[in-house]
Amino acid sequence: MKTCLASSIALGLGLVMVLRAGPVTTSVVTHLPPCCRALPTTNEPSERSLYLLESTWTSDVGRKVKLGVLRGRRQVLAMVFTRCEFACPIIVDDLQRIQRTLAPELRDQVDFVLVSFDPERDTPGVLRAYRQQMHLGEDHWTLLTGRPDDVRELAVLLGVNYQRDARGQFAHSNVITVLNAEGEIIHRQVGLGRGPAETVAALTATLPAEAKR
Amino acid sequence: MSPIREPLGPTSGPPTQPLRPAVHRRIADDRRVMALGPSKPRLARPMTVFLSIACLMTFAKVLASGVPEGTRPPVGMVTVPAGVYQPPFRSETDAKQVPVKAFALDRLPVTNGDFLGFVRANPRWRRSQVKRLFADVNYLADWNGDLEPGASSPVDSPVTQVSWFAAKAYASWKGKRLPTTSEWEIAAAASPTRPDGENDADFQRQIAAWHSAPSPGRLPAVGGGRANCFGVLDLHGLVWEWVSDFNTAMVTGDARGDAGLERRLFCGSGSQTAKNPTDYAAFLRFGLRSSLQASYAVHNLGFRCAQDLPELSVLPPPAP
Repeated sequence: MKTCLASSIALGLGLVMVLRAGPVTTSVVTHLPPCCRALPTTNEPSERSLYLLESTWTSDVGRKVKLGVLRGRRQVLAMVFTRCEFACPIIVDDLQRIQRTLAPELRDQVDFVLVSFDPERDTPGVLRAYRQQMHLGEDHWTLLTGRPDDVRELAVLLGVNYQRDARGQFAHSNVITVLNAEGEIIHRQVGLGRGPAETVAALTATLPAEAKR
Repeated sequence: MSPIREPLGPTSGPPTQPLRPAVHRRIADDRRVMALGPSKPRLARPMTVFLSIACLMTFAKVLASGVPEGTRPPVGMVTVPAGVYQPPFRSETDAKQVPVKAFALDRLPVTNGDFLGFVRANPRWRRSQVKRLFADVNYLADWNGDLEPGASSPVDSPVTQVSWFAAKAYASWKGKRLPTTSEWEIAAAASPTRPDGENDADFQRQIAAWHSAPSPGRLPAVGGGRANCFGVLDLHGLVWEWVSDFNTAMVTGDARGDAGLERRLFCGSGSQTAKNPTDYAAFLRFGLRSSLQASYAVHNLGFRCAQDLPELSVLPPPAP
């Protein structure tokens, strides 16, 4: 009897989640990445929250979202482009090492976001292929592309300088940014291959404070 | 840190003492390596006449180059013809020359009066309501109140102490945008007599003089200077101006070490590695831009708007 009740509750919850998540344009996607789950309930974001941005982004599963959908969970964010020959694979590897290094109690509370410098060529389809190529799990990774103006705006907020060069590559700063659940920048790591320790420490430091709430 | 950077921080001193003094020091320090100023031979008068004619011809070419009625820039804007921008610094892979399409540019910087209209219509950009993410504490700090520029910010003087976000929001409220670095530099390169003002010694001297003079506490009204040969005023001599892509400066290809800033370009003789060491002002602007953050609201830093010229095929009917 108990198990029956539990399973019907689970089923009901699952159904509610599916309904709230709304339609998904790509039918092959079974697990929604963090960007595309149900919207957390919201009051207005704080003064310094990146979630004040009103720009609309497209995720690799084709969903149009505002950054505010990431609210409520810690995010580790970096800007890359898929044709990047050198720096971006290292940044992504840095993020993956951060993910592997997280303590088990944190691992489930931290998501990762990649935003493309190259809206022209990094279409949702290209990003989806990149997700597979780089083995970025659906559970915790969000890949976004947006309008050039909005990319520039996000970049200035993250302190990321970039410029498209003559070969169509992007020269860019390498910055790994940690956002707290409110979307405020709580840590920046500048440079490549610096190891996960610094960022993991910043994430770990958020744990007790937010647990108290 | 570079001396250019230090006065820019959101917490830096009183807002009336920002950029220029540091700039002044730098110019003094570097005077030896500058080929600016009186040491440069004056152009002969017939030459000037010839160049004025050349400039007029460029302008006439723009007008005559099949630009039909409807592509005339909107009121208060002028057409800056297509050109090629050569960045003062670049890495091996950066474009040596950036082609720039013809575009429309405001003749004048945005004034306090203009900006008052914007904050009236957009309460969230009022001083008391703006989010810290988008503007630091110096945002419109010289104004007396939310809707009151006050005596120190006359309505016909350029608005300053506005962040990049605020400038961008104003531009899009106007149906315009901020100019890119390349566009701004092409417009600013023109002297009153010729599009390539870097070869106009008088013009370079005037710019140098502005950079050396301390900035007045109360900025004069816009439109006081002389129009350049495209018809744009006050690109030099009044305030620095935001550009849409200020954060492209000094990034090296696939930057590995730090954020990719070419630190060596900041030090004393950095300008010697620039494309044209005599155009010291271009070097200063480059340094300034790379030291900015988008939320900074700085005295002496204002903006003007740009706009794409309408495509020939989709011309809107002329406004009544």
